[in-house]
Amino acid sequence: MFPKPIEKQPRAAQITYQAMLPIALLLWLGPLLAVALFSVKPAADFTNANYWGLPSSFEGAVNYGQVFFNSDMPRYLLNSFLITIPTVIGAVALSCMTGFALGIYKFRSNLWIFFLFVAGNFVPFQILMVPVRDLTLELGLYNTKTGLVLFHIAFQTGFCTLFMRNFIRALPFELIEAARVEGISEVRIFWYVVLPLMKPAIAALSVLIFTFIWNDYFWAVVLTQGAESQPVTAGITSFNAQFRAAYQLMSAGSIVAALPPVAMFFLMQKHFIAGLTLGAVK
Amino acid sequence: MHSIYKRTTAALAMSVALAVPAYAELTGELRIFLDTSNPAPRATMEAMIDRFAAEHPGLEIETTVIDREAYKTQIRNFLTADTPDVATWYAANRMKPYVEAGLFEDVSDLWAEPEIAENLASTKGAMTIDGKQWGVPYTYYQWGVYYRKDIFDELGLSEPTTWEEELANCQKIVDSGRACYTIGTKFLWTAGGWFDYLNMRTNGFDFHNQLANGEISWEDDRVKQTFANWKQLIDMGAFIDNHQTYSWQEALPFMVNGEAAAYLMGNFAVAPLREAGLSDDQLDFYQFVAINPDVELAEDAPTDTFHIPANASNKEAAREFLRFVVSADEQTEINNGSNLGQLPVNAKSSVDNDKFLQQGFNMLSSNSPGGVAQFWDRDAPAEMAKVSMEGFQEFMVKPDNADRILAKLERARQRIYDN
Repeated sequence: MFPKPIEKQPRAAQITYQAMLPIALLLWLGPLLAVALFSVKPAADFTNANYWGLPSSFEGAVNYGQVFFNSDMPRYLLNSFLITIPTVIGAVALSCMTGFALGIYKFRSNLWIFFLFVAGNFVPFQILMVPVRDLTLELGLYNTKTGLVLFHIAFQTGFCTLFMRNFIRALPFELIEAARVEGISEVRIFWYVVLPLMKPAIAALSVLIFTFIWNDYFWAVVLTQGAESQPVTAGITSFNAQFRAAYQLMSAGSIVAALPPVAMFFLMQKHFIAGLTLGAVK
Repeated sequence: MHSIYKRTTAALAMSVALAVPAYAELTGELRIFLDTSNPAPRATMEAMIDRFAAEHPGLEIETTVIDREAYKTQIRNFLTADTPDVATWYAANRMKPYVEAGLFEDVSDLWAEPEIAENLASTKGAMTIDGKQWGVPYTYYQWGVYYRKDIFDELGLSEPTTWEEELANCQKIVDSGRACYTIGTKFLWTAGGWFDYLNMRTNGFDFHNQLANGEISWEDDRVKQTFANWKQLIDMGAFIDNHQTYSWQEALPFMVNGEAAAYLMGNFAVAPLREAGLSDDQLDFYQFVAINPDVELAEDAPTDTFHIPANASNKEAAREFLRFVVSADEQTEINNGSNLGQLPVNAKSSVDNDKFLQQGFNMLSSNSPGGVAQFWDRDAPAEMAKVSMEGFQEFMVKPDNADRILAKLERARQRIYDN
């Protein structure tokens, strides 16, 4: 199933691999590098069509200074954290419980309820746009961080439940039976037996959901407006002036906005990769 | 003692406009919504509001700045619920939906005050619907031809004033291997600027307005004449190639690099052109040439405005704020080069000592007898503006399709204005 390691390939294949890898990497990272380059350019470079050359002067300090001290960017960043963290906690907490219920108890319609959660993942979320907006308006949650958090929790719980239920299914059922024989209540089994075993799954899922929610743009634009509630992904567009798009500031803002999930990825790399594969094994 | 001192300083700080009505101390809350979300204009507006607040210590002012694009959709919400006392918007047809829905306060009383009536006459038309005024302007800017003077000098050209001179100039520029005009029509509105000028020069301001209001057929011979004039330029290669792929900003490098000699644009093009290294010796401005000598010259000068929502709660303070905004001193201050860098709306204000602002101010105050238009996408209803600007763009790429495009616009007109 796995490809043969590159060291065991014929010499020609090894050389091709070594030659192609940097090219592929450059293609892959090209747009990112361009954004990084744009973020240290002066505005004049865009009017001079100096899109890909070296910056005519280094304006990194100026651009990033503008982003941090002369715009709503810090506010947007704070909003992002205030939206992402409660969502992660909420979605993971709920899915631990639903996963436990669906993974441990055998009752009629167990599978159907599970399918219901799974099916939610297959709904293209764009079709929910208008109803969800109307719903948040009716509930008075339009343009609030709470509204966004509640929606994200509701929507992410589907995927999280799938993930958690499969993980709990894979746990040795004997542990739970042993606990039941000891006469321990179900709540305590959940809390003292299952939850500690779920720690790797919780870590992996938290990292995954953090990046999902942080990078969300669609719902941020649909459900919130303005600096008091919008997260950073939507806030970047505020660098579009009445007349001009400040490409250099947008680039600097994008880099800043991308840092937390990237940092999260590097710090929690192990969990992240575990997260991508955990749900796959039953 | 304290209060006397306060009143004296306030009186000193007060502009002439404010000195007229003797008012009681304003109290309560004043909520102001702004769409000036970018750092520089935002700082300008906030500084202005601070000066207003200093004059009215009894007033509790709350300012909300909303991203300019988001503002355009949010205004529908906040004019009906949770309404501010003052809100920014745009003049002419762009305010019409809110005026007709009864969401903007009639401020004709302000315009009747001599201070405003005498000094803001040039923009009164843009603020008037059904004979009443619905807000006050706070800034506007000119449109016209920004050109590379050094290229004109090299080719021995001078600023044209007639269509024949324009065509002769352009032929020489094309012969020298350049394009006469840079333009980026990717976002359509730049082509709307060309249509504004060509149609206003061919058929006049009133005709142009009637067309924007759907009163004239797009297949009228006079409209066809406008497009015939346009086609002359297109056919001779006056515009840069592939303009439909550029935004207006992406079209700037052609002028900076000398591949194109001029740009029909608003005054906001000057700042990036200067940043890119063009000196004021290289860059100059002229008014769009006359085409039909029988029609008066009219100009595009988009105007940004302040309004009082009909549902506002502190209209007295809001009116005072509007008076403050249009006062000669404030107009001089907020429109100067270090702030908005645009034209003041008050005739008693002084214009920044900037070459282009000076020329624009002179042009609009003395050489625009036909009237002042707001720009095609503000004058025509939104739906018609969109369809027609798509047509203009297509026409600029495929000028031979003119008849088919005009037929399509005519069908759109019958559909859009009927409702």
